[in-house]
Amino acid sequence: MATAETSRLDGLRSRGAALGGAVSPVVLLLIAGAIGLLIGCLRSDVFAQLTVQGLAIGSVYGSLALALVLVYRATHVINFAQGELAMLTTYIAWQLIQWGLSYWEAFAATLVIAFVLGTVLQVTLLRPVQHRSVIAAVIVTVGLFILIDGVVSWIWGSELKFMPPPFARTNYDVGGVSIARLYPGIFVVVLISVLLVWALFRFTKLGLGMRAAALRPQAAAFAGVRVDRMLAIGWGLAAVLGAVAGLMAEPSQFFLDPTLMQPILVYAFAAAVLGGLESPAGAVVGGLIIGVSLNLLIQYVPAISSTLQTPVAFAVLIIVLLIKPSGLFGHRTVRRV
Amino acid sequence: MRRQIPALTSLLVVAGVLVSLPFILSDYNISLAAQVGIFFIGVLGLNILTGYTGQISIGHGAFMCIGGYTTAVMSRDHHTSLVVTMLMAFAICFVVGLLVGLPALRFSGVYLALVTFAFAVSVPLLPLQWSTFLGGSGGVQSAKTVSHLWLYGVTWAASAVLFVLAWLILRGRMGRAFRAVRDSELAAVASGIELPVYKTVAFGISAAYAGVAGSLFVLATNGFAQPSEFGVFLSLQLLVGAAIAGLGSLWGILVGAAFVGLLPAVSGSVPVVGSAHGRDVVFGAAVILVMLLLPDGFAGLVARLRRLGEA
Amino acid sequence: MITKPKSEGAYMPVNRKKLGALIGALLVTAAIAGTAAASHRSTPGVTSKKIVIGGTFPLTEGPATGGASLYKTIPFAEQAYYAYVNAKGGVFHRQIDDIIADDQYTPSETVQQTTKLVEQDHIFADVGSLGTAPGLSTWGYLNQHKVPQVLLATGDAYWGNCVHHACGGSTKPYTMGWQPDYPGEAKLYAKYILQHKPNAKIGVLYQGDAFGKNYLAGLRTGLGSHKNMIVATQSYNAGDSPNVAGAHVIPLKAAGADTLVIFATPGAAIGALATATAIGWSPLTLLGNVSANRIFMLKAGQSGASLNGVVSTAYVASQTAQANLPGMKLAKSIIDKYAPSLSQEFAAGDGNLVYGLAVGWTFVDALKHAGKNPTRASLMHALRTMDQKNNPFVYPGMVVKTSKKRTFPMEQLIFEKWAGGAGGDWKTTGKILNSGH
Repeated sequence: MATAETSRLDGLRSRGAALGGAVSPVVLLLIAGAIGLLIGCLRSDVFAQLTVQGLAIGSVYGSLALALVLVYRATHVINFAQGELAMLTTYIAWQLIQWGLSYWEAFAATLVIAFVLGTVLQVTLLRPVQHRSVIAAVIVTVGLFILIDGVVSWIWGSELKFMPPPFARTNYDVGGVSIARLYPGIFVVVLISVLLVWALFRFTKLGLGMRAAALRPQAAAFAGVRVDRMLAIGWGLAAVLGAVAGLMAEPSQFFLDPTLMQPILVYAFAAAVLGGLESPAGAVVGGLIIGVSLNLLIQYVPAISSTLQTPVAFAVLIIVLLIKPSGLFGHRTVRRV
Repeated sequence: MRRQIPALTSLLVVAGVLVSLPFILSDYNISLAAQVGIFFIGVLGLNILTGYTGQISIGHGAFMCIGGYTTAVMSRDHHTSLVVTMLMAFAICFVVGLLVGLPALRFSGVYLALVTFAFAVSVPLLPLQWSTFLGGSGGVQSAKTVSHLWLYGVTWAASAVLFVLAWLILRGRMGRAFRAVRDSELAAVASGIELPVYKTVAFGISAAYAGVAGSLFVLATNGFAQPSEFGVFLSLQLLVGAAIAGLGSLWGILVGAAFVGLLPAVSGSVPVVGSAHGRDVVFGAAVILVMLLLPDGFAGLVARLRRLGEA
Repeated sequence: MITKPKSEGAYMPVNRKKLGALIGALLVTAAIAGTAAASHRSTPGVTSKKIVIGGTFPLTEGPATGGASLYKTIPFAEQAYYAYVNAKGGVFHRQIDDIIADDQYTPSETVQQTTKLVEQDHIFADVGSLGTAPGLSTWGYLNQHKVPQVLLATGDAYWGNCVHHACGGSTKPYTMGWQPDYPGEAKLYAKYILQHKPNAKIGVLYQGDAFGKNYLAGLRTGLGSHKNMIVATQSYNAGDSPNVAGAHVIPLKAAGADTLVIFATPGAAIGALATATAIGWSPLTLLGNVSANRIFMLKAGQSGASLNGVVSTAYVASQTAQANLPGMKLAKSIIDKYAPSLSQEFAAGDGNLVYGLAVGWTFVDALKHAGKNPTRASLMHALRTMDQKNNPFVYPGMVVKTSKKRTFPMEQLIFEKWAGGAGGDWKTTGKILNSGH
């Protein structure tokens, strides 16, 4: 990999500093965008409904993107199976509910299972190829993608499944605009999960160890950090975030089938790159930007039909990579030979 | 020279078997053998890129899509001879490959994987957007369809030509440059290799191969080009085939191609799992196991057996 | 990945191994492939004891098929009906053997599976295969080989229009549909709106492909000079996820529509119905009948959609709303006995099961008329001259009929309206209407 790191430990120690120090124009732009959205929402019901929906689905993109970023930071691999892993854990939740757990009991249990699953997969499948080459590791995750797809349809069949609604099916009336409770519900659940993971990284010794293991493996090992274990835990946490994404994608997609996460993975990739592959905050913000802007674009720009939604998202991805390879919030510089 | 004689012998034997297969197999099985040939070309092309220059692509299904639509559209609108449309697919995909290769110069590793993946997802959506020309989700039907035997003959003839071409390219100056790029970009630059040129050309050649494969793929679908044939899974299949064959070697390609070309046809009879799930479970498990146990794929296995034989 | 440099010396063993491996691979290829050899019979698939038929269906979900596998109970109902007929002695003492192949609603798979059915399994006819694009991918091949491709489970107009007129370069005399065609159905919705809500402002959500566009064109034709009642249209892409497809109802509401017409496959239709409720919109809703299966509606209800008053059309009987019909009692006994794993779906009102039984009935009836020693030509002749007034599974009073002029077997529909909320059911209303040409 012909890349050089310029990331600094202290830069990562405080997300606020990372945000404020390097990219204040970006932050200003985001604030301007948010104000624009607010004005739009006040002026038009449809705009408001689309925005709320976009924020909800965007937060799902964001949490899956964050999972990708965690894995990337830990092992410098893009986990192509991240979405399918989330789909698998959603099926597990469905199964737990069938066995009699309540929705939120199943939710909690699934997160634990996801953590174990993520950790085990890293240790058994990724660790052996990790040091060989990026290509080898990516191919393993591609294999995992196909394998999980097959295993899920094998165990649960591919007919549609329905989960009980996580939130009451009522509508809020906000200044005359009818908003289904589902969307703010999704947004809040995802936000809480992301904040918890952030707090874990920021305030715990484990978090510090993980950041150190990801950034400076040799130095961390020297300081007594069990690097391998930290990387595995990183995968576990990524799987947990993915599980949240899957569980919150299900109600917004209306049902569960093995292709649940495939379109979402595509947007999560775009979100992760937009935010800078190394930046957790960037991934979440990137997800929200993509969720809201695509939802608005296809309604208000006639030239962009829903068919072009994905190509447009990817055109953005490639343009970002060409103009600002480090993304909106990244510090990483890609050195060209 | 001594080294090449046995290699030549084995090639001749393979060619002999391929020539005699049509006399042995039933018509249906000939269509399967043709399917293997199509993947042979696709995997060969991907291997030139990923195996020899170290640039990963999860987007070669998109080039197959472009090649396939070239054949279907030219045949539908201009009644172009099908073999000519294959040459056109080769040329068009070569150019598109160069164009994709240019921005790809700035990406490596996971970034390239993401960009090519984006390409694989986006290209099959374009026919839906330009549906009057490209038929929308209803697809494009070529004016002519071909028999299994025709397909088999043309596919394997094309495979032979493209294999020899690849062999010539890779053993020559360009091949050495490719490998130097893969092994160390810095060292390659230091030794005077023009990195952008070789990386881009590798992309072009590789895409052109995929284009021919796509053209044949459409002919194998009764001349029917349709977006859902060229989904991301096709790109993954090619990558799986290349991994099983062994990246960076031409010897395992037949095995990799046979694996991805035949598995869907026999997966209905996979015990226990059965049906389409069987295909996915076997595909996924196989590629993971190969990557873990046989890092150099089938070609690596041969090398290992050799060492065993020497010991 | 890096290939290890080949060590010098001792090349012969290497290459012998390579050679062996290559030949081995080829032999494996040949062995896997080379099983059944073609045998020459006068009529493929027909022996004195057996008639082998087959069809392709989406049993599993492929990438971007948007819930197509929701239809997968159709072939199993057909198999159940053939099992029932076989238990009663079959047709002219021949047992019907129906092979179901999974094509994931993906044309390239359809081609592979169909080729396999024809050349490996030697089917007599391709019966009931599902989907427009899959059907189009194989009709050239099947007609070329004179294999009947009949009773297709898709309502596109191709299947009836290309019998006498060339489509894609040739006529398709071996191809035939079964259910009423989509444009005809859409014309009836236009009539319904003109009659019940003459000042309606119509918003249309349709799938952006031949299937959706044919529906939309039919609606426009039906409205005639009142075309401008359509105030907004939105198309989604067949591969869109349900929430993306469903979100298109938001601008329809914004455009001032008070009537929502949905021409969509089940996943998108569920998304649209649920989204309309989620934004607090309750227009008069008309739903194309491909998505109006009761179990799809129940699932939309589970997803939060309020369903009362939704209008659609029916052409098969309903085992829930018309449980006392002799045909529905027979349907229940057949499913319970020959496809017990589907009993639950049957009880829940899966209309696809009745659909499958009805198609099976049509095929068996045609087979009886194809003579004691049926050929592919005699089967086609029987199918082209059907007059089935007593198919117990179609809506009572409707006929399945063909002639030289009439190439669509079913040309009748009846309106139905949903009542009873999330656990409710369809209730038919009015008279049987002609949806034909």
